Amino acid sequence: MTADKEKRRAISRDAARRRRRVESEVFEDLSRLLPLQPSVRAHLDKPSVIRLTLSYIRMHTLLTGDTRTRAEASHKVKCGRVMNGGEERGECDGGREEGEKGTEEVEASEETNLYLRILEGFLIVLSTEGDMIYLSDNVSKYMGLTQNELMGHNIFEFTHPCDHEEIRNNLRLTAEDVCCGAKRDFVMRIKSALTHRGRSANLKSATWKVLHCQGRAKVCVAPSSVSCLLLTCQPLPLSHTLLSANTFTSQHSMDMRITFCDQRMNLLLGFSTEELLGRSIYDLCHTLDINNLTKNHLNLCIKSQSVSAQYRMLVRGGGYVWVETHSAVIPSVRPSKSRPGAHQPLCILCVTYVLSGVEEPCLQLSVDQIVHT
Amino acid sequence: MSAGGSDGTADRQTDLAAEEEGPNQAGSSLLAVDLPRKRKGDVEERSGTHVQHSVDFQLDDDLCGSEEDDQQVKIKCFREPHRQIEKRRRDKMNNLIDELAAMIPACLPMARKLDKLTVLRKAVQHLKVLKVDTSSAFTNGIHKPSILPQDDLRHLLLRAADGFLLIVSCDRAKVLFISESVSKILNFNRFELTGQSMFDFIHPKDINKVKEQLSSSESPRQRLMDAATGVQVQLDAPLKPPHLSTGARRSFLCRMKHSRLAGKQEDQPLLPCPPKKKEAYRYCTLHCTGYMRSWPSSQLDSEGDAEKETSNLTCLVTVCRLLTHVPDQPPKGVSIKPSEFVTRCAIDGKFTFVEQQATTVIGYLPQEVLGTSCYEYFHQDDLRHLAEKHRQVLRSKEKIETQCYKFKTKYGSYVSLQSQWFSFTNPWTKEVEFIVSSNRVVSRGPTHTKEEEMGDSKELQEDTKQLPIIPGLSSGVGTMIYAGSIGTRIANELLDSYRMNSSPSSGASSPFGPAQEKGPLVSPQTSNSASSREEAAGSSSGSRSDSRTAADAGSATSERSGEPSQLDLDSVVVPGLSSFSSDEAAMAVIMSLLETETNMGQSGNFENLHWPF
Repeated sequence: MTADKEKRRAISRDAARRRRRVESEVFEDLSRLLPLQPSVRAHLDKPSVIRLTLSYIRMHTLLTGDTRTRAEASHKVKCGRVMNGGEERGECDGGREEGEKGTEEVEASEETNLYLRILEGFLIVLSTEGDMIYLSDNVSKYMGLTQNELMGHNIFEFTHPCDHEEIRNNLRLTAEDVCCGAKRDFVMRIKSALTHRGRSANLKSATWKVLHCQGRAKVCVAPSSVSCLLLTCQPLPLSHTLLSANTFTSQHSMDMRITFCDQRMNLLLGFSTEELLGRSIYDLCHTLDINNLTKNHLNLCIKSQSVSAQYRMLVRGGGYVWVETHSAVIPSVRPSKSRPGAHQPLCILCVTYVLSGVEEPCLQLSVDQIVHT
Repeated sequence: MSAGGSDGTADRQTDLAAEEEGPNQAGSSLLAVDLPRKRKGDVEERSGTHVQHSVDFQLDDDLCGSEEDDQQVKIKCFREPHRQIEKRRRDKMNNLIDELAAMIPACLPMARKLDKLTVLRKAVQHLKVLKVDTSSAFTNGIHKPSILPQDDLRHLLLRAADGFLLIVSCDRAKVLFISESVSKILNFNRFELTGQSMFDFIHPKDINKVKEQLSSSESPRQRLMDAATGVQVQLDAPLKPPHLSTGARRSFLCRMKHSRLAGKQEDQPLLPCPPKKKEAYRYCTLHCTGYMRSWPSSQLDSEGDAEKETSNLTCLVTVCRLLTHVPDQPPKGVSIKPSEFVTRCAIDGKFTFVEQQATTVIGYLPQEVLGTSCYEYFHQDDLRHLAEKHRQVLRSKEKIETQCYKFKTKYGSYVSLQSQWFSFTNPWTKEVEFIVSSNRVVSRGPTHTKEEEMGDSKELQEDTKQLPIIPGLSSGVGTMIYAGSIGTRIANELLDSYRMNSSPSSGASSPFGPAQEKGPLVSPQTSNSASSREEAAGSSSGSRSDSRTAADAGSATSERSGEPSQLDLDSVVVPGLSSFSSDEAAMAVIMSLLETETNMGQSGNFENLHWPF
């Protein structure tokens, strides 16, 4: 009896081994077809191969669907030629031949690198369920995890639980998005496996990094295509900011009242320090920008860092300037001789970029601007 | 060890046996198990297999200390979770296979579910059909292969960023490079613009500003600021001139010409008229952000500007994006309705902000009304209902609509207005800071005649003795004083209510608001807001408190009928945060700080920071 059983077991073991071998071969074939570096390919396990294959197929569907619609739209008046891959190219330089595709790749890659450097972030393509279909490969610089480790996984695995609701809201596509070009702009916290020296550490000892995500939702009605979110994610802030002549820093208590301002703030806004201390930033901005500032304030309180959209700050004597503020909540300092005052546990530090000149300088909008003669 | 019954694990056995254990690298919410560091491609899956096969290795106790307890438990009863781990792994694999099948066209029409091998084979075929380009990446060795061809990546980036890349030289603002996406935004072909001077296509009024941004007249000292600590450091002797150092950021707004092509379908059919002056162009506002950079001129300057060939070209590398963040900004060329304007008042009704359009309606210039109480302009008949609305808005988070009322213009006549008020509450202190009013002119009925208007103002002048009785306020002396004092009294009511609120139970109060269900206003909280307002800013933020009385809860609308007019910490779903006391709330913020990057640079000792301001 047992010999028979043994024999059957042996047969089934062999069959299983054969099956596994065949399966492994298919996996090998699959991974060879993916555009990966050999060193990366060698270390992929099976689920990862499937993950990356999925990502590839989804991205392909996304892009071909997109180029088809772009080709149909008649934006271009000049000689637009639909080349292979569907990309509209070939302005007056006579179009490109196959052989030049290589150069164009290089050019595209340089341009992309420049973009990513200026934007100081990485690109992420999210499905409506939150799957990270694609990430640009510089993500490792900001998160300590490589593109291949992240692609195909779900963003909710890497983001702060308190931000999930907001992320979900942003992933959701509304009717308005379909017709009016869906913009997205929000702040979220993501795990970063970078140490402060810039090396990759374990994800277990990951810290939270605050990301500013901007982009748009791409809505696809066609069933074969995939609706998704295209976002550039920018960590904020840098620990060192180079300040130019048009930036100033200010320190605020948690309710956004100014507790300290630097000289440039006086220069750029025209108010003296005495006039500014104790004033709430909400008083000093244009009324119509209040919602924007409130959102910024909330993000700050909850996520400890934020960047405002552009808003207007009133200038003494009349008019306003457009500014953008990067803020962070920091543990406060003990009062010293140069800074007497009560000790607060927390305060807000803002770096504000002045984006425009003084607009409408003759317009006195607020009680602060009245020049008393 | 199992006899390789489950898929794929047998392959791994030998591999794993050879590997050493390394530091932890758990990918996600799965078991916190040590994973060999080498395998970066498969973050999650390792956990399952590792535990299964690592019985022999775990006894070496080569693990991170914090996991020891868990590991001991696992060793003892590894047979228990083993099955579950295996099942979980199998499920995950099956899910992936299903997802894959859903994406492959060849697999879709199948009635019954395909087996794993078939799906994989079809996936291989599909990738072949897609002609995945794996070879070209290796031809020149310059760039590494990526999942996406670079061109597609660039395209995606542009879709997301909605902008174009612009590189201009700093000396003459010559456009050295502009990316293709400019055609989508400005409707110019990139080659029309390359080589031109940027000043030719920005708004004339912005030229000076842009010149300033391009100039190298930077302050001689470079300032660095550590955003984590707020410490500013001045570099006394920069190694190279600041304007040449990579990374000097620039961020500014400017208006650029926006060409309207005659052939565009979506435009209204306009007769193409030749632009006579620069003003005939449409401009759109762009936000340009970027860096100053030194660039070897040979690479980019294809124009062959022989005489100006320097070895180092300084230029500004920017991304220009359409300014979309300002919802209130009307596109240029669209006239703002002259009959609407926004004002802002302190809680006692004194104007602190008046939009310029107001002048066309009320006759006064903003500076003439700023600082005066709005009650001075309200008609007597409306005082009562407006005072009531005033009271209401201070206690509600909703937008309050007033009825039509008469507002005295500069010339003595009255104009009919209707307004929407809402009170702005500071998200941190939860105190009302001011009231924003969005006002519009209501045209009176066709029966209205000039005489009626004249009649109204006459009435006012005569009728100073009959003052309406407003509950809660005693009548004052004189119309003006009375009118002004209404606002002040209402404001004082609010401040008193802040002061008087006390809830014996909750000693500390939370800047995040007490725990509450959506709808009714909150329960009373201890408050010392009125006095703390007068203190210097910078008093302990932890003791700022909430301030809505139970009485107010009754009067204000209990259900959120419309959308809340202002974002609020309470309306942002933050699990658990709303039930914190102020100390806890402050602690929560501190904790999130400690968790974030900004504190990476900290030595941990906050006491010794100095402010060199």
